[in-house]
Amino acid sequence: MEGESIYEVDSEDGVGADIISTVEFNHTGELLATGDKGGRVVIFQREPESKNEPYIQGEYNVYSTFQSHEPEFDYLKSLEIEEKINKIKWLPQQNAAHSLLSTNDKTIKLWKVTERDKRPEGYNLKDEEGKLKDLSTVTSLQVPVLKPMDLMVEVTPRRIFANGHTYHVNSISVNSDCETYMSADDLRINLWHLAITDRSFNIVDIKPANMEDLTEVITASEFHPHHCNLFVYSSSKGSLRLCDMRASALCDKHSKLFEEPEDPSNRSFFSEIISSVSDVKFSHSGRYMLTRDYLTVKVWDLNMETKPIETYQVHDYLRSKLCSLYENDCIFDKFECAWNGSDSVIMTGAYNNFFRMFDRNTKRDVTLEASRESSKPRAILKPRRVCVGGKRRKDDISVDSLDFTKKILHTAWHPTENIIAIAATNNLYIFQDKVNSEMH
Amino acid sequence: MEVQKEAQRIMTLSVWKMYNSRLQRGGLRLHRSLQLSLVMRSAREVYLSAKLEEDEEGRLGPQPCLGEEGAGQPPLQPAAAASPGPPAPEERAAPADRGNAPGAVDPEPMETQDSSGDAPPAAPAPGAGRRPARGVSLPPPAKASRKRRSSSLDKPGAAEAGLVPTKKARLEAEEEEGERQPQGQDGPFPSLAKVLQTRFSGMLRGGPPKGPEPTPGCRPGDGVLSILVRAVVAF
Repeated sequence: MEGESIYEVDSEDGVGADIISTVEFNHTGELLATGDKGGRVVIFQREPESKNEPYIQGEYNVYSTFQSHEPEFDYLKSLEIEEKINKIKWLPQQNAAHSLLSTNDKTIKLWKVTERDKRPEGYNLKDEEGKLKDLSTVTSLQVPVLKPMDLMVEVTPRRIFANGHTYHVNSISVNSDCETYMSADDLRINLWHLAITDRSFNIVDIKPANMEDLTEVITASEFHPHHCNLFVYSSSKGSLRLCDMRASALCDKHSKLFEEPEDPSNRSFFSEIISSVSDVKFSHSGRYMLTRDYLTVKVWDLNMETKPIETYQVHDYLRSKLCSLYENDCIFDKFECAWNGSDSVIMTGAYNNFFRMFDRNTKRDVTLEASRESSKPRAILKPRRVCVGGKRRKDDISVDSLDFTKKILHTAWHPTENIIAIAATNNLYIFQDKVNSEMH
Repeated sequence: MEVQKEAQRIMTLSVWKMYNSRLQRGGLRLHRSLQLSLVMRSAREVYLSAKLEEDEEGRLGPQPCLGEEGAGQPPLQPAAAASPGPPAPEERAAPADRGNAPGAVDPEPMETQDSSGDAPPAAPAPGAGRRPARGVSLPPPAKASRKRRSSSLDKPGAAEAGLVPTKKARLEAEEEEGERQPQGQDGPFPSLAKVLQTRFSGMLRGGPPKGPEPTPGCRPGDGVLSILVRAVVAF
C-alpha cells in the first residue's frame, strides 16, 4: 500500500471538534464523505485520471464542506444533543446531483450536493450585479445566455427527519429500493421514506416493558444490499438478528439469530462487554456478514446461524489487559470494519494508529500504521508487528508501548478499487494499492 | 483476598464511571450504562462469593482454602487476580487494607451526591453515605451503616446542600420491605440496582453482627456495599 494523501483540519479551539467520527465512500468511489465531532461534513472528490500527469491521478481533494448539525438542547430532559455526526450514508445517484444522509444522536438530514459551473448573464431587468435597472435605459430585449463560471458546489438540506428517536441513533442504512432507509437507536429501529419526514414506521422495538429487565441494546444495523426486505441488527450481547419485513410489520421476532456460544475459558469480569458487536456489514455479494467486537472480527454466512465461518484476532494481546483498558475507558471503543470490493479482504482499526487487514483466501494478515512518517506520497507502507514477549525483532513495538489514545475507529474501502480511507483522530489518510491498480 | 479487593475496586470504578457518564455532553448513554452495570454485577458476584467463602472459613476455623476458592470462582484474568498464587489465609488480611478500602471508596460515592438534578431523583438518600467516613480511616464496623443512615438526616443544612434528597423516607421503607423496586425511570441499570438492594437490604436491616467477628475488616465491606447500593440506585 502506498501513502497517498493526508488531510488534517486545523483545530482552532483544540477541544477535538475536528475528530473524525465517520467515513464513507459513495457508490462509485468518486466521492468520500467524512463527518466530525463538530457536526461538519467534508466531501472529497477524486481527481479524474489524466494521461499527461499520471502521478496525480486518483488523488482526493476537498470538494465541499458544510455544517450538517448544530448542538441542540432538549429542554424537556435538560440534555444537550451533541452535533457529532455519527453516520453518513450516500444515496445511489439518480441524476446529476449527489445525495447523502447524515445523522447525529437524534436527527437525520438529507443533503443534496449539486454543482454549478455556468451562470446566466444578460438579464434585461437586472444589471451585472443584480440590481434592478432603470427601465428607461432598457431599449432592446436580449436573451440571457449561460456562461461558464468557476465551479461552485452547493449543498442544501432537502429533508430533516426529526423526533423519531428517544435514544441515541447509532446507525442508518439506505435500502436497495432507493426509497426507504432505516435508522437505529439503542432500543428501536425506524423505517423512513426518503420523501416523508413527518412520520416513520417502527420495525424493531426491544425496549422491555420494565426497563429494569433491560439486558441488551441494539448496536448497529444494516439493510441487505440486494434484498430490500432483509436487514440485520447486532446487539450488545454479541448476537445478530436477521429480519424479514415481509413476515410482519413489527420485526421483533427475528428470522435468523446468529450467535456463537461464549468460550468459558475466556470468562472474566469483562467478557460480556467485549462480546458486544460494534459494527456489522454485509458483504457486497450479500452472502456474508462481517462483525467487529472488541478483540475480533468475524465473518458469518447467512446460511449458518450457529457460529461464524471465520474469526480473526485483531489484537488478542489485549485480552490480559482488559482491566487497564476498562480503567482508561478504551474497552468501550467502537471499532468499525470493512470489506474490499471483491469481499476477499477485510479491514479494521486498532490502537497506536494501527489498522489490520485479513485476506480471507490466503489467510494472511498485515498490520499497517497510519502516521505522517509512513505516509509521505508514494511511500510504501511497512508492515508493523506487535511483540508480546519472546524474541523481539527490530522495529517491533511492545504491547506496553502502544498508544491507546491513537485509535482508528473509522475506516472505509473504495467500492471497487484498492483505495482505503483511514480516520485517525482528526487526520484522514488515504492509501492506494498501486500494484493492483490498472494505472501501470 | 486479592480477588475480593480487585472486585471491590472494579465495583468502585464502575460507580465512578456511571456518575461521570451523566456529566458528559449528550446525556446518559444507555449502552455504556448497561455495560458498566454488567461489569459491576460480575464484580459483585465475585466479591460476594469470595466473601461468603471467607465467612465460612471464619466459622469453620482457618483452613487452607486454596482449592475451594480457586474452584469456586470463575477464572479471572491475570490483571484482575493480582496474585496468581493461592489466596492468603484470612488472618493475613491486614485490617489496614480493608480499612483503606472504605476510606478510598468513600470519596467516590460521595461525589455522586454532587450530581445535579438532571436525573429523575428517584433514588433514596445517596447522601446518607457522605458524612461519617470522611476523616475516619476505619469506621467502627458495627456503627458504619447506622451512622451513615442517621447522620445525614440530622445534619443541619443537609437539605439545602442537597445532600439529602427528599426520598430519604423511601430508602428506609425499601430497606424494611426489602423487595420494593426502585422507581421505574429509564434507569439503565435498574435490574442491578434491584438485585443489590434486595441482596443487601437484609444486611443493612440486620445491623451489626453479634458474636465474635472474624476480622474487623469485614464490616467496612458491608458499609461500602451499602454505599454502592445507594449510589447505583441514585441513578
